[in-house]
Amino acid sequence: MIRIKELHKQYGENLVLKNVNLSFSGGRVYGIVGENGAGKTTLFRCIAGLEDFQGEISSEFRPLKNHLGLLLTEPFFFSNMTGNEYIRLLCNARGLSIPDPEARNVFDLPLRQYASTYSTGMKKKLAITAILLQENKYFILDEPFNGVDIQSNMVITEIIHKLRELDKTVLVSSHIFSTLRDTCDEIHLLKKGEPVTTVDKQGFDRLEAEMKAATIGNKLEKLGIK
Amino acid sequence: MLQFNRTNRTLRGYGMHPVLGYLLGFAAFILLSTYLFHQTTYGGPVLLLLALGILAKMAATGRTEFLRLVFGDRKGRLIRLLENLMISLPFLVVLLYQGAYAATLLLIAGSGAMAGLRLKGRPNFTLPTPFYRKPFEFTVGFRNTWYLLLPAYILTAIAVSVQNLNLGLLAMLLVWGISMTYYLRPEPAYFVWSYAVRPSGFIFEKMKTATVFAAGLVLPVVASLLLFFPQHPEMTLFIAFFGFVFLWTIILAKYAAYPDEMGLPEGVLIALSIYFLPLLLVMIPFFYFKSIKNLNLLLK
Repeated sequence: MIRIKELHKQYGENLVLKNVNLSFSGGRVYGIVGENGAGKTTLFRCIAGLEDFQGEISSEFRPLKNHLGLLLTEPFFFSNMTGNEYIRLLCNARGLSIPDPEARNVFDLPLRQYASTYSTGMKKKLAITAILLQENKYFILDEPFNGVDIQSNMVITEIIHKLRELDKTVLVSSHIFSTLRDTCDEIHLLKKGEPVTTVDKQGFDRLEAEMKAATIGNKLEKLGIK
Repeated sequence: MLQFNRTNRTLRGYGMHPVLGYLLGFAAFILLSTYLFHQTTYGGPVLLLLALGILAKMAATGRTEFLRLVFGDRKGRLIRLLENLMISLPFLVVLLYQGAYAATLLLIAGSGAMAGLRLKGRPNFTLPTPFYRKPFEFTVGFRNTWYLLLPAYILTAIAVSVQNLNLGLLAMLLVWGISMTYYLRPEPAYFVWSYAVRPSGFIFEKMKTATVFAAGLVLPVVASLLLFFPQHPEMTLFIAFFGFVFLWTIILAKYAAYPDEMGLPEGVLIALSIYFLPLLLVMIPFFYFKSIKNLNLLLK
């Protein structure tokens, strides 16, 4: 279980996370939603240990990061490095040896080609494959559905279901509510760096309606589309 | 103007005043090219190939298309021509001064011709590398620099055939220099963070991989020189040993500056160590402890 207590994070004068008190347990999938700049990625980076913060983040593992698979919104790929080598790099980093990444190529990626030449969706799928092969207990997936085709979308959804079955803890952010509805057990809404609402499956429709009302309101009427 | 400003920013990023950067760059270029003409009879062709290589990079499809899209076909081509002439200018000065007239004419023609070229960046081909099992520095570095390693091995063969140990030692220095460039740029934090080790373990792992892979690159040169110049093994072994030591120093200096790129302070300290080797006894621990401190946030 990951426990976050009184988490605060600021960049200079700008307070980007405040009063974050959350906990994430095994065998469950958590959605983190909020508009751009709400602090989702910063929260993920703090949990991963990529950022300094005030407060406490604890788990049964010390350090947590060695058991955490992190999918960044825009994964970075070195030029002249193949998909196979990218997987090897991330697995070697965890002390794991993957003799034949091709055999575990669930997305049918051209692993012998340079990963930097992949499309956005392919890059995301490669990054997901690598963190899955790292045998992590926790997963943070920042926008996993962004830019991937509909078939891969279905595969990613199934992977998340499988991770839940395996008692893993998964944190997902997405701007597409339907993907969260399909995958999550609980959704936390962040507003200006603060968790303001938490809903379980029964409350998803209500949360979506509230978010729609708050975001769209009567803005479309201003356009005067005819 | 934009390119000029970008270069100035890069130099400032290295902690150097742009004017000083240009002066140092110009002085280094003159010194190296003079040395090249002094040491070999192939100075003209080597300089010409180097200049054409840079011009080819400038003709990459992406930037050429961008220039034409923004400035139009005619103006875009004119900008490319001006860029090529500015890059060629220092080479032309040296080539003319050294009396390499054929290379001078070829370079002028090349500058003009390449202004209209759009070169496809990379072919759809994966270059095999012996370092694929332990990415990333040598895997990526080998693919980026194989065309520089090849001449180093050819130079070794020439050194053996003309019985010139100094030329062989120069080839070895070239291999070391190339290997060290693999560690100049900092990788994104994610690729450090991913390691499930303490900072000291991370540094040790990086140094171990570098040692094994660099040994693989330098071994053909060292073995040839030891075999064909058995009367002077001391210089070969001296450069081989200090090649490793400087490779480790560069790795430590890289993480001592991390997450920033190595700058002027690290460069000056390494340069001083080259001139006064005992300084390494201070530099290595200094860079090591600084690296550990920098890596602590990501690997604690």
